[in-house]
Amino acid sequence: MKAPAEGTLRGIGTFLATFGIGVATYIAIADSGGGSPVCIAGGHGCQTVAESSYSHLAGINIAIFGIAGYVVLLLCALLRGDAFRMTAFIVSLVGFGYSLYLTYLELFTIDAVCQWCVASAVLMTLLFVTNAVRMLTYVGTEP
Amino acid sequence: MSGRRDRESRREERLREEQKIGATEQRQRMIKLASAGAFLALVVVAVLIVISSGSSGGGDSGNIVEAKEVDKLLAGIPQKGMVLGDPGAKVAVLEFGDLQCPFCKGYSEEVLPQVIENRVRSGEATLEFRNFTIIGPQSKPAGAAALAAGEQGRGWNFVELFYRNQGTEESGYADAAFLTAIAKAAGVPNLAKWNRARKSQVTVARVEATSAEAENLGFTGTPSFALEGPGASGVEAIGTPESVGELESAIENAGE
Repeated sequence: MKAPAEGTLRGIGTFLATFGIGVATYIAIADSGGGSPVCIAGGHGCQTVAESSYSHLAGINIAIFGIAGYVVLLLCALLRGDAFRMTAFIVSLVGFGYSLYLTYLELFTIDAVCQWCVASAVLMTLLFVTNAVRMLTYVGTEP
Repeated sequence: MSGRRDRESRREERLREEQKIGATEQRQRMIKLASAGAFLALVVVAVLIVISSGSSGGGDSGNIVEAKEVDKLLAGIPQKGMVLGDPGAKVAVLEFGDLQCPFCKGYSEEVLPQVIENRVRSGEATLEFRNFTIIGPQSKPAGAAALAAGEQGRGWNFVELFYRNQGTEESGYADAAFLTAIAKAAGVPNLAKWNRARKSQVTVARVEATSAEAENLGFTGTPSFALEGPGASGVEAIGTPESVGELESAIENAGE
């Protein structure tokens, strides 16, 4: 199967990362106000997850790390060259791996699912796939 | 002329070949670099997971301690629901507590063991745990989990073990994994049934009802105590006795 043009992959990456910044920012703002994100479909999953100890890493809400990651991925999608192909691949792999762990925690440890966290995990998975294809197909070629 | 053109053509071809080989080598180098980067990324994820699992602010579900001590403390004393002791005892001691409360933990470790040994084991009094959830939202599911353990005759094991493994207030340590670990260590026989019971609206409503009862008795902090007995006027609020002696003499008075 022929890989999409790099421009297309960068466009997809830009869209996904922008969306991710929005989701992570909402979670961070909801937490900073002393509350928790509101699950659109109802239920208390978002509140339970937000109140869990796993929602913070070294005292910082993990949504802040999420925003930072999505911003880096957005810049890498907008910029050309091997350095950005590689950085996007590595950062999205970290995000994807940690999202897998967080989803596992939601299902088996926290015992609650937050739709906003699932949305972020899906976005990060798609970003990883997009950036893996971009890196494997185009690294070492002219930008 | 023809020979010169041939030489130039061969030279250009060689240059193209070299460029092609150079590009392939460059790509292979970059792929190797990316593999190293991927390895590094996985190491970073592993480190984040280790930090995350260690940042629960106490209450370590993987290391529940003092189960044997709690078993020893309660061994041989009948339990029904959240009532510890002989149902025929003259005096009923009601403890209104919050499982997240550090002061309750201290009380449970320093005062109650002697009262249990001297007054409950002897059949003089019963001790009943009632939830008074004042610390925060995470107290309610913890309290419901204790009541669910009580339905299987292990309520006091759950409460005592929870206190001995308590983490930082509202840090989120009292999640499903921690509650399950406490229930297991407390010897709750049917964990699936316990799990259903702790989440049921009926159980949560019982937590809310005793919290409201505590407020009606005028309590504002935990642990607070009330007594029932022939010498007490109905449910008599006694606040928080400061010592074993004070609580024991209140029990004696209520029994007369």
